[in-house]
Amino acid sequence: MDPRDELWANAMRAERRGDGVAYEQLLRDIALVLRRLVRARLARAGLSVHETEDVVQEILIGLHAKRHTWDETRPFLPWLFAITRYKFIDAARRLRREMSNRVEITMDELAATLEASADDSDRSMLDLDRHLAILPQGQQRVVRALALDGATVRATAEKLHTSEGVVRVLYHRALRRLTDRARSDNLGSPAGRP
Amino acid sequence: MMSLSDTDDLIHGLARQAGTRRFPSAGAFRLALIVATVAALCLAVVGVLLLDGVRPDFAAAASRAPFVYKVVCMLALGLGGLVMASRAALPGSGRVTALALVPAVALLVFRAATDRSGLSLMGNSDVSPFGCVVTILAVSLPPLVLLLGVMRAGAPTRPALAGAIIGMLSGALGAGAYALACTNDAGLFVALWYSLAVLTMAALGAVIGRRALAW
Repeated sequence: MDPRDELWANAMRAERRGDGVAYEQLLRDIALVLRRLVRARLARAGLSVHETEDVVQEILIGLHAKRHTWDETRPFLPWLFAITRYKFIDAARRLRREMSNRVEITMDELAATLEASADDSDRSMLDLDRHLAILPQGQQRVVRALALDGATVRATAEKLHTSEGVVRVLYHRALRRLTDRARSDNLGSPAGRP
Repeated sequence: MMSLSDTDDLIHGLARQAGTRRFPSAGAFRLALIVATVAALCLAVVGVLLLDGVRPDFAAAASRAPFVYKVVCMLALGLGGLVMASRAALPGSGRVTALALVPAVALLVFRAATDRSGLSLMGNSDVSPFGCVVTILAVSLPPLVLLLGVMRAGAPTRPALAGAIIGMLSGALGAGAYALACTNDAGLFVALWYSLAVLTMAALGAVIGRRALAW
């Protein structure tokens, strides 16, 4: 048997005596193992590995809530496995549902897209303006000059009365901000749904 | 998205609750399940007394084989259900296997096969099998609610299966209690209609358990 079984079983018994320190160490050890396991299983299931930490936390909370159901006279690992498996399947089901909500195409969206397809270029410029609006003024000007107008870094620096180094820093900050925003939009509420 | 430090905070918070819980141990949960099963049987008996009352010839019938058979059979089924429920509620405490039901099922089949009484499969004229099944279902509902409540304190990793087991257990208790009122003594009658009632309860338990026992 895995030597960890005895180690972790002892920590579980210590928890029952109210030993918070031993229990905290146990949860940390288990979290380490879960993190690796969950990440691998999420990837294999075609789900986002960004959710790993969320799923690990759900498993830990489940384990904590049901810790009285472990029978001290029995090995610990089979119990842990059963709890982990249950909570993982539960989380995977939820993630899959969220994913299908996110990729779902509604009739309204299709209609809106058909209407918009005539003035496509205008619309995408509007979208771009909306996205750039989250940036501070300086970053907005740099992105417009470099990415939209196709100006060189030197020309942009001259136009904005600043150095090439500052233009580069502003540009990278703007890009990071835009990608962070795009990611949180995708992870948050089902994007694009009415 | 949550970060590693969130998880550390979470763990720290959980660890502060060390030593506190609803049930002190798996053993206490088992005991609670047994006590609840006895209480559920009492509920079913009360239900039968309120709905039907005992059979008119109870004093004479109580010591005869058909009555004893009905009660023993259903209690054996209940006992098997109790073993299965305990395992379904406590992860890693052993496989949830229908082997626990073998004695009860063997008894049912044996009695049905060797029944020479010649009594009707459809029961006595004044009590239809339908009424019998409905009564068993009715008196099995309070036990179902009670036992599902206890089960929620466990950690069933297959909620629908756990619900089905609890439904079967409740049905067996209800059917056992119904034997007090039931005037149909044919072995086949019991094997068929009591079993139908118990299976219906199992199906109901599975449907409810799928939601109610998820955690």
